[in-house]
Amino acid sequence: METTKAREVVQITLQVNGEAHTVEVEPRMLLADVIRHKLGLTGTHVGCEQGVCGACTVLVDGEPQRSCLMFAVQAQGHDITTIEGVTPESGLSPLQAAFQKHHGLQCGFCTPAMILTSEALLRKHPNPDEAQVREALSGNLCRCTGYQFIVDSVLDAAAQASKKEGQ
Amino acid sequence: MADIASRPQFTGSRVTRLEDARLVSGQGRYLDDVEFPGMLEVAFVRSNRPAAKILKIDVEAARKLPGVKAVWTHEDCPLGIKNAGFDCTQWVLAKDEVRYVGEPVVAIAAESRYVAEDAADLVQIQYEALPPVLDVRTALKESTRQVHEGKSNVFFHRERKTDGFDEAFAAAEHRLSETFIFHRQTGAAMENRAFAAVTDPFTGRLTCYCGHQSPHELRSELCEMLDLPENMVRVVVPEVGGAFGIKASMYPEYLVVAWMALKLRRPVKWISDRQESFLADVHARDGVHDVEVAFNSDGTIVALKDHMMADGGAYTAVPFCGAIGETVTAASVLTGPYKIPHQATVIDCTYSNKTPLGAYRGVWGPIASFIQEGVVDRVARYLKMDPAEVRRVNMLSDEDFPYRNPSKMVYDKGSYLQSMEDALRLIGYEDFRKRQAELRKQGRYIGIGISVFVEPTASASSEAGSVGYEACTVRVEPNGTVTAALGLGPTGQGHETTMAQLIADQLGVDVTDVVVLHGDTDSAPFGGGTGGSRSGTIGGGAAITAGREMRQKLIKLAAHALEASEEDIELCDGKAYVTGVPAKSMTIRELAQLAYTNVKGLPPGMQPGLEVVARYLPPFRVSFSNGTHIAAVEVHTDTGKIDVIDYAVVNDCGNLINPTIVEGQIHGGVAQGIGEAFLEELRYDRDGQLVTTSMQDYLLPASVEVPRMKIEHIQTPSAAEGGFKGMGEGSLIAAPAALIGAVSDALEPFGVMVNAMPVTPAQVLAWVDQAETSA
Ligand code: FES
Ligand code: FES
Repeated sequence: METTKAREVVQITLQVNGEAHTVEVEPRMLLADVIRHKLGLTGTHVGCEQGVCGACTVLVDGEPQRSCLMFAVQAQGHDITTIEGVTPESGLSPLQAAFQKHHGLQCGFCTPAMILTSEALLRKHPNPDEAQVREALSGNLCRCTGYQFIVDSVLDAAAQASKKEGQ
Repeated sequence: MADIASRPQFTGSRVTRLEDARLVSGQGRYLDDVEFPGMLEVAFVRSNRPAAKILKIDVEAARKLPGVKAVWTHEDCPLGIKNAGFDCTQWVLAKDEVRYVGEPVVAIAAESRYVAEDAADLVQIQYEALPPVLDVRTALKESTRQVHEGKSNVFFHRERKTDGFDEAFAAAEHRLSETFIFHRQTGAAMENRAFAAVTDPFTGRLTCYCGHQSPHELRSELCEMLDLPENMVRVVVPEVGGAFGIKASMYPEYLVVAWMALKLRRPVKWISDRQESFLADVHARDGVHDVEVAFNSDGTIVALKDHMMADGGAYTAVPFCGAIGETVTAASVLTGPYKIPHQATVIDCTYSNKTPLGAYRGVWGPIASFIQEGVVDRVARYLKMDPAEVRRVNMLSDEDFPYRNPSKMVYDKGSYLQSMEDALRLIGYEDFRKRQAELRKQGRYIGIGISVFVEPTASASSEAGSVGYEACTVRVEPNGTVTAALGLGPTGQGHETTMAQLIADQLGVDVTDVVVLHGDTDSAPFGGGTGGSRSGTIGGGAAITAGREMRQKLIKLAAHALEASEEDIELCDGKAYVTGVPAKSMTIRELAQLAYTNVKGLPPGMQPGLEVVARYLPPFRVSFSNGTHIAAVEVHTDTGKIDVIDYAVVNDCGNLINPTIVEGQIHGGVAQGIGEAFLEELRYDRDGQLVTTSMQDYLLPASVEVPRMKIEHIQTPSAAEGGFKGMGEGSLIAAPAALIGAVSDALEPFGVMVNAMPVTPAQVLAWVDQAETSA
């Protein structure tokens, strides 16, 4: 639209899920909005834009970060992973499968962020106890599940992984 | 022919959810994921005054901003929302006067949300302040300014009393009084509210996308308010990120967006941000109750009196006015599971300059439970009796059913006493009391709270409207797979799975062969939607009824094709068998092909194709679920912090369709109960500004605040198809009373009996201080 051209736009390249994406954005655009509306990766959800709910969590260089608290321009040069990036080509990842098995989700709105946060936790602590899981997830709000089945999902995914490891 | 499916395989078992694969991989399509080429986005300018005359609105600068397509005020969109029961209209864009902070005044459509919000900042509104009305007791005074000029602030008043109340009340040996206070809260679903509308260029029909609990109810309201015929409007409910009652309402923003799509001839979308959500989603639980109880020395409670006052906010929400729900329904079950013969209630619902009150899960429930359990705990403390014992003395027992309570509500059979005894065992009540005494000596305060709840479910009217039945279409496709459609509006409850379980059992097919459609008025038969814990019972009844009709059709077809009698046909494993002759069988796929393509091979009189629509109306006005929650807390008297250290639930919602899903509902409701009891409060300051408009101020329970819960089920079937009762709200009905009761119990040495929700650490410290100064 000709009207937008008047606004300041910059070209940036984002490394998302192992692929480079070059997009034109206004410097004020949030990373969450660019991921969702420019890259079409709508598995990242926005629940508050206040940095509190955690629904917009993505992994930035492997660490859970709130994509509503970051401008897209700040994300250049970093490795970004969204829920689409941890989903295998067919079927589900072990964590995703555990969430399904243990009913770790109801409406599903918080779920992609829960799974990404748990991914990061399990990479660092492959065998967390319940308190560690709850602590790691304490910045991700869920209004539906009361957390118990989410915690069970993460603990079981960890247990399955270490069983496999042991074989 | 067997009346029910011969071998129920899926109903009652822990089937994993069919909707999960798409959701865990980020493929769910929520409202903000709906996009069309050329779509405009909307931002609203909202009132920043609780009460004021609008003197002037200057939109020129906003109009001139590049990228802005339309800037609308009341004159551009003179539509209103009116609850038929009340004499009060909310204009979708305020006309002449604003009545709460957050009320929409100007709507801006622009090429992006960023631009629309920029333009919103450029709008200037001049106001002339009016004195705001901010609480129910003030609103009740004659001298208070009328929120709606010329209309009383009391928009609903009702008095009820059982025969002989006064005599019974006066004759009792003891009387106590207490005021119970409920602060404002809201559903706060993780996905904010949103709406999108687009006209179909081929047919001119309007399609509206909305995360809503009742697709057909929303369509009816849109058609009425936009003056469109129902066959020209389609409502599509995409994936919904939680609803909890707030998404059962009609809202001004929805009508503005739909009107814009029609007038501007462009797709239009509005998505609320979190601040708007706190300001403009319906609020809940703003009430004050002056309660008196009369009882005897043995603990029997004989009469209960309540002046119920609810602050309904600035307008009566559509279709469900929360103030009415939180008082009238609370009055109808105020005595809960206790056999209290006499009750007197006076109800006053008033207008104020605050956000309208609508539904939030449990609605009246947490209020009635807190009062009923609070009264029992006070009686126990006064008589120095064990709180569990006072409950036993007053509890309904097996021979009382069907029980007619003093409000003339009839309870079907439940397991009230058993649920409490089981929950006491689950939590280890006797041991807890010993531990409590030990710890008190060390200056540590733990407490236990008991909440025995009644949950009226599946009733004819609820926040989901007043359709008493539900409908279901079942179609066996030509290749033998099954498509069903219902008018429900699931928002995380897993209906695609539970309804498929019921249908699969009727047809003898695998649950994964059944696809359940919902939330689209073009595919679903007219139905009531989801709310008031009605979907499992009424929707489930429709699914079973439609499934059974299809089953009968398949059996008839198979009997004809296999040259057997209908009595001998069994449906199982995707096949129709002749009993005892396993070799004589046809697959459902073969039967479907026959039904669709071989018209000559059909039994005489049978129509080609395999499709049925069935409606189900339960044989009762309401069915009561029941159960008991017991919470154990530790209250830290040095910091005021409250930790939930143990939690037990015994739940009876009749026969279970899927125990895992039921438990998930319980977990979620208890977590919300923790929010309601200890964290969540929408606070207005003295000037009428809402000061809790972020999630940093309005606190939701996090993973570290919600304990692991112990859950057991009892199954006392209802008279409904399948024996199901509803259960979506019981956990939030019961939990706050249990949690608050536990705090009162913990702080007994300080003489504390909690009378307001939520309880905050500051409040705890104040009590401890007070007790120490007076000691
Ligand atoms: S949307 Fe980013 S934290 Fe809530
Ligand atoms: S599953 Fe709904 S918010 Fe977590």
